[in-house]
Amino acid sequence: MDVSSPPVSLEEGLVLQIQRMSTEDGPGLRSTAFLKACPLSCAWCHNPEGISAKPEVEWTAGNCIAAGTKDGCGACVAACPSRALARDPSGALRVDRRACAAAQDKGDCRLCAAACPAGAVQVLGTRYSASRLADELAKDSSWFSGSDRGGVTLSGGEASAQPAFARETLRLLKGRGIHTALDTCGVASWENLCSLYPYVDLLLWDLKESDSALHARFTGLGNERILENLKRTADWMGSHSYPRAMWIRTPVVPRATDREDNLLAIGKAIARIAVPRLERWELCAFNNLCAEKYRRLDKEWEYATSPLMKAQDMDRLLEAGKRGLDTGAWTGAQAPSVAWTGSTGPGTGRKEA
Amino acid sequence: MATLKQPYGLSPRVERLRSWYFEGADRGWNNEYSAWTTGTPWDSQFNEITYYIVPEVYALIGAMASSYRLSARPVKLADGFWTLSLPERRAWFVKEVMTKHLPRDFLPGDLLCGARFNIQTSLCFTQKEAKEFDRLVRGKNGARAAAIGFHNHGYGNAGATSGHLVPGYQRVLEIGWKGVHAELEARYAQLSEAERKGPKGCQVRAMTTSATMARDLAAAYAEDARVLATKAGSTPRAAELRAMAQVLDRVPWEPPRDFHEAIQSLWLTHMLVMADENYPGPGVSFGRVDQYLLPYWEASKAKGMTRAEAKDILGCLWFHCNTAYDAQIRTGNNGITAGFGQLITLSGLGPDSKDMTNDLTMLFLEVIDEMSPILEPKPNVRLHRGTSEALLDKVVDMIEGSQGAPFLLNFDERSMAGMMREGKEGGIGRLIHKDNVHDYAPVGCLENTMVGNDRSGTVDCNLNLLKAVELALTGGKDLLPFTDAMSGVTEEIAQAGPATGDARDFTGWEGFWAAFEAQVAYIVRAIVGLYEKSESIRAGFFPTPYLSCLVKGCAESGRDVTQGGAQIGFVTVEAVTYATAVDSLLAIKHLVFDQHDCTMEELMDALKANWKGHEALRARALNKAPKYGRDDDEADAMAKAVMDLWCAQTWKHRTTSTGRQFRPGMLSWNYWAGDGYIMAASANGRERGQFLSNAICPSNGADTNGPTSNSNSVGKVLGGRSADKGDYGDYLNCLPNGASHTITFNPSMLRDGEHRAKFKAFLRGYAQNGGTALQVNMLDPGMLRDAQARPQEYRHLLVRVTGYNAYFTGIGRELQDEVIARVSHGRF
Repeated sequence: MDVSSPPVSLEEGLVLQIQRMSTEDGPGLRSTAFLKACPLSCAWCHNPEGISAKPEVEWTAGNCIAAGTKDGCGACVAACPSRALARDPSGALRVDRRACAAAQDKGDCRLCAAACPAGAVQVLGTRYSASRLADELAKDSSWFSGSDRGGVTLSGGEASAQPAFARETLRLLKGRGIHTALDTCGVASWENLCSLYPYVDLLLWDLKESDSALHARFTGLGNERILENLKRTADWMGSHSYPRAMWIRTPVVPRATDREDNLLAIGKAIARIAVPRLERWELCAFNNLCAEKYRRLDKEWEYATSPLMKAQDMDRLLEAGKRGLDTGAWTGAQAPSVAWTGSTGPGTGRKEA
Repeated sequence: MATLKQPYGLSPRVERLRSWYFEGADRGWNNEYSAWTTGTPWDSQFNEITYYIVPEVYALIGAMASSYRLSARPVKLADGFWTLSLPERRAWFVKEVMTKHLPRDFLPGDLLCGARFNIQTSLCFTQKEAKEFDRLVRGKNGARAAAIGFHNHGYGNAGATSGHLVPGYQRVLEIGWKGVHAELEARYAQLSEAERKGPKGCQVRAMTTSATMARDLAAAYAEDARVLATKAGSTPRAAELRAMAQVLDRVPWEPPRDFHEAIQSLWLTHMLVMADENYPGPGVSFGRVDQYLLPYWEASKAKGMTRAEAKDILGCLWFHCNTAYDAQIRTGNNGITAGFGQLITLSGLGPDSKDMTNDLTMLFLEVIDEMSPILEPKPNVRLHRGTSEALLDKVVDMIEGSQGAPFLLNFDERSMAGMMREGKEGGIGRLIHKDNVHDYAPVGCLENTMVGNDRSGTVDCNLNLLKAVELALTGGKDLLPFTDAMSGVTEEIAQAGPATGDARDFTGWEGFWAAFEAQVAYIVRAIVGLYEKSESIRAGFFPTPYLSCLVKGCAESGRDVTQGGAQIGFVTVEAVTYATAVDSLLAIKHLVFDQHDCTMEELMDALKANWKGHEALRARALNKAPKYGRDDDEADAMAKAVMDLWCAQTWKHRTTSTGRQFRPGMLSWNYWAGDGYIMAASANGRERGQFLSNAICPSNGADTNGPTSNSNSVGKVLGGRSADKGDYGDYLNCLPNGASHTITFNPSMLRDGEHRAKFKAFLRGYAQNGGTALQVNMLDPGMLRDAQARPQEYRHLLVRVTGYNAYFTGIGRELQDEVIARVSHGRF
């Protein structure tokens, strides 16, 4: 997709979900807004419903009052003007994704979700104005102040894929004195990206894969633009006070990014680019809790049965990453702290870190 | 899987006492009830009124009364006993049993005297009094029938019960029982001849007798200790026994000089309250122990007492508090209920907004942590905006190491705003004001009261707000007829509340709301009327002169604490089913009036049919109607309107017999579980038999936006904060009693230092925006399922069910499933 053209107007954006009291999207307690649309489509993505820029239908069998019954309640099927919904002989709901997507192009359609009494059929993606989103995210202000730099994170999807909406939301939040973080994959036009920076306290930046060909295989795009934007961001931060800080994050995915050479090379890249005020580099262990989400979107997921990382492997990869970092001169800049996070599998001697 | 909390670091003495305690009925010694009689054929012991708030024992009340009567041992009465007034008879009888009849046991390695105190003493009635008591309690329109009828029809329950106060322990420590006794004598001397002959004189004489009970009991224990010491020869135990005797030579008659004397004085004074009320530990609470015991700890420390020695003494105190549960030890591991609550309060604000955490606070927290899991005494830690990092760190450490936080957290600013509100509403601003409100302490579970002069009946009235929604639908009648489970007889539906009209005829929401308002006024009147029955009987027939010595106002007024003698004496109506009621109103408005998903007739048919055949409508009520607890301003506005309505109705009433004003609170004990089987299906999608909502918590599963939004909703309905209208600073709190709020977290919330800091931030945010009290569960669903499968291996696993700790394996399968469902907000 063309990341430079916003899918919606300045006032409105498509929000996948708001998570209050998030403890995993930056420092302190945070409210995180996940915005729809992402220029990448990472094979291991744990928010697969965030990739598409359009609203998508999701059916949760456990909530459906008719699941597994012969006749069913039928409200969703009857409500769909595009005939995109049908029940299969097992009682499960089948979604014709192409028909639904075509209908969404003509304007958001959520008739099936409105008809469903049980909340089993949902249309993922809700329109918010920037001011309504900022109001919602500011509701936990009392909780932000009790923690070190608690606040709001815009994540996704890719928040910068709706740049005007993201910018306006961040601007409103900064106006209320709220700490802001932007979680980005780094794929965006430079103009869009840096237009957000004056309103961002903390940048959360993903570096997933050092080998561009592998990056393209895993995510759909090479890593050149990410590295170029990171370099330009380093220069920007050298001459601007915002963003105030950066964290780099690397997803460690089994049989993909979990190679010592990858961590070593990413470490070297971080050392070479030497972003000012880079505080930490986190290695995030692969998480399989999203397998159910793929099923609900009728998507195959090649990682559905992948085991969790083992703690000793995370330790080993962390060491490789540190060796990469050590190649830097780090003159005028501090080397970031580096650690791994997330759940790991059995036989590791460590439950969680 | 998380590991089960184990005690650690205990001295051999405390370790032995603790494990001995958990041997339960196999212990060989216990503190079960013994019953005592005057020997008259009409005598009885059991005051069943104290159990009207425990509906699960209604069927057993008769059996309990006769078992005590049959096992009662006679006490030889003093000459002239029957010429005395009832309070004097009772004072003499209880003292006689405690000092001359009940065995005085010394337990292995114990450093504190005062082992047996669970007694059922004669009500000391004359034949005439017995007959009148019987008529009032068991007569056709008596208190028992009224209480059971009220409960059967889903309104809740009420009864004048014991405890639930902080007695004036601090005063006993300061002036000794000797000082209390001298004051009573001086006061009696000032009475006119006419007053001495009247009820005032009788009451003060009774209290004067009671004021020597602790002295005489201590003297008897001291003598026994010396005899035992002689027998023990030159063993270390002999020295301990001699030291105990020396302590008892002084306290509780004289003021203590050191820590050991203070704890001994405190324990004897406390246990005799439970003896006097014939009820073990029903919220008889210690108050701010880390404040008033500090001088004694400092004195002992200066004389060389180590922390280990202090913990040895406190370990013995812990043991004794738990023996309250021996009362009905033959009915099961914890007796009939885990619902006692000898609360201790730690930390909190002092004068000039100063944090009062001290060395003793930390010592108590260490003892709690090392002894845990154990039920009593129940700790409550007071937090506020300025709580130190050090205390929060300790609190989080302890939460991390236990399955449920081994304490409740009380939040000062919100709580104190409620106490200030109570001062205004009750016209007692001279007794509760900005310069003393920080002295408040919770009792029982989390019910806020003042200290040493306050009995506010914090568990006496428990009202199902949801009943008013049902009555608004039907125009003042039960939705379904009541069938007696024993006889199988079905009652005809009668007009109970005001005839507010058939809801099917209402054309708009305003009409329904007006009906609801009228029915709320009615159910509040109904519980006030029910309560009056037991309150007036207690005032006339069940004096507690010993406890009255410890409550300021009783000696001054010459009225027993049961007659409203306390300076501060509210009766608390605890609203139950709050969120269920609010969500039902939201659903009615949404389904019938806003969205027109159904007619009122269809909705009422669905409720009568318990949703059978109306599954789609039920799903809509559950999933599409707004809910309280999500920080949704529109839904929370409805919740606030309900809150304002029922609070205003509650403040309007006073007891007739004792002149006590009613005040609002929210504590649901276990009623939200049990009454779920009694109350008809509700419009929020709940089926009959499903649990109701608990205290101020959102309905089960409704808080889909997580702990912060849940807490924001709670803070909002309590009144939030207002720059110009606040009652304490800018804080408002319409529930002076406080409100029980439970949130369950997954233990991974505390997995590393960074996340622990985030959890501390949650607690700091709660002080800003949350409620009055918070119970934190840290539960791992895997562990709970394992505990269901292998209960014998999890006997000590404590969970918080509502305002109290209970052993998970003892709470019944339904409640276990409920706790598991709540773990991590159902996301597991």
